[in-house]
Amino acid sequence: MTDVAMRDQPARRTMDAGRAAVLSRFRTFDAVFGGLTLAAAVFVLVLLGSVIVSLIIGSMPAFRAFGLGFLTSQVWNPNDDVYGALGAIYGTIVTSVIAMAIAIPVGLGIAVFLSELCPFALRKPIGMAIELLAGIPSIIYGIWGLFIFAPFVQSYVEPPLIAVLGPIPGIGALFQGPPYGIGVLTAGIILGIMVLPFISSVSRDVFATVPPVLKEAGYGLGCTTWEVVKNIVIPFSRTGVIGGVMLALGRALGETMAVTFVIGNAHRISASVLSPGTTISAAIANEFTEAVGDLYTSSLIALGLILFVITFIVLAIARYMLLRIQRRAGV
Amino acid sequence: MTTVADALTGADASTAAEPAPERAGRPALNKVSVRDLKFFYGDTLAIKGVSLNLEANRVTAFIGPSGCGKSTLLRVLNRMYDLYPRQRAEGEVLLDGQNILDPAMDLNLLRARIGMVFQKPTPFPMSIYENIAFGIRLYEKLPKSELDGRVEKALQGAALWNEVKDKLSASGLSLSGGQQQRLCIARTVALKPDVILLDEPCSALDPISTARVEELIDELKGQYTIAIVTHNMQQAARCSDYTAFMYLGELIEFGDTQRMFTSPTQKQTQQYITGRFG
Repeated sequence: MTDVAMRDQPARRTMDAGRAAVLSRFRTFDAVFGGLTLAAAVFVLVLLGSVIVSLIIGSMPAFRAFGLGFLTSQVWNPNDDVYGALGAIYGTIVTSVIAMAIAIPVGLGIAVFLSELCPFALRKPIGMAIELLAGIPSIIYGIWGLFIFAPFVQSYVEPPLIAVLGPIPGIGALFQGPPYGIGVLTAGIILGIMVLPFISSVSRDVFATVPPVLKEAGYGLGCTTWEVVKNIVIPFSRTGVIGGVMLALGRALGETMAVTFVIGNAHRISASVLSPGTTISAAIANEFTEAVGDLYTSSLIALGLILFVITFIVLAIARYMLLRIQRRAGV
Repeated sequence: MTTVADALTGADASTAAEPAPERAGRPALNKVSVRDLKFFYGDTLAIKGVSLNLEANRVTAFIGPSGCGKSTLLRVLNRMYDLYPRQRAEGEVLLDGQNILDPAMDLNLLRARIGMVFQKPTPFPMSIYENIAFGIRLYEKLPKSELDGRVEKALQGAALWNEVKDKLSASGLSLSGGQQQRLCIARTVALKPDVILLDEPCSALDPISTARVEELIDELKGQYTIAIVTHNMQQAARCSDYTAFMYLGELIEFGDTQRMFTSPTQKQTQQYITGRFG
């Protein structure tokens, strides 16, 4: 062994020299590479910052003209050049609430089915089918919503709603007026379908983090699947599920295309969810091309800023929730 | 009866399949009878035809090297394997004469009668009080005061009451490992099962907590039939009345614990309990 090493000595020296050259080359490369990736990261931050700054600058004229009243007025009249965001804010929130009311129970149901009840052979295919739903472009939902779903809602969903729920005092106000087909309810339902995959796939993933032995302990007491899910699986994964719901909510708040097609684009607040309304993103998409005059444009940009703030808050909460469950899973 | 497996291992039929090890002066009452049990993970045969009895109000310990099928056997007794696909059992397991492997068996009721404590403590993500009350509520509608009483009794039964009585609303996860394991035992006992299965209940515990759990097992056997799987030979010797030694899915020897540890009839048993293999 020793003499072999000795004989290799000269060769080794040249190898070392070659190695040193390679290493120094790599050091330069490392520095350049590090610089490039840093630049990419900084670029994103700069981009984000400039979007915020330009939104703020762009919306200044509107806020200067209307003050905080911009947030509380529902008048949106391009002829008189008077604008208020309340109608759009209201529509955004109501459609999102309807979407969540549909997507949360259905999405959780899918997740429970996939993680606890579904025969093993079907888990993969059903899971993939649901994730494919997330890949459908929103314009397709819009077209489908306008040509197929809205007429269906108009003839088969809204008349019974009006007949059954309309006369009830209180909540009846939500279901009165003519069945247009196009309106806040239809937009909310389509949004619900669109965000469903987010809720179900995130929930399924966090359900999978529940230790099997904990579920076995539940079954070991003689719990039914429902009792195990309700008392053990969901409490254990609560923060993760909320995080998934928040991600879906963020998506629902900002969704533009599908909503623009089916919401009716009316800047007013109606008690009934059957009547047309608008959302922030639908208003912007619809009116930007025809926005003549600085104040009109500025008001649309101000709408954008409001949406940005709302979704930013929702997504920040979502990230925080997901971070918490990851930290716990890591321990 | 003599199985092929017995013949292969050279086990004497009279010891390996001894139906009920007799103790002098007391008739044996068999709570659970396992008859020629075979268990499959997919195509793999994990238990190769085991027959034995668990005597009522006695502790039966299962020992043997990892992978010998002792935990699997325990999971057959409350049909926990049913949760997983491609796992199945053949043969008969009689609980008070009723075959629990019958597909028509109500698993929820079965599992209420046969409680299980796992290797790792498994407190539910809820308060200490709720951890106990939750199981009781599944089966009985009790007024609050009575429920409180049951929870207290269960916690006292698991020698945990004094440590937690002032923080019943704290999370079950806030307890130490040993306390969590006793909480799980309390939870199991609270349902008043007939049989308690303990799957290496002390393997995650320190010696002091282990001693506590062992004392507890000793107290519990007055009311329950207990089966315990353990890797700790001293533990089996200390707290069991009968010991079953399993190896590679077969029951090699089963009998009175004292006799098993002093004069095992099988060579493999002797080698295992003296630490020469496994």
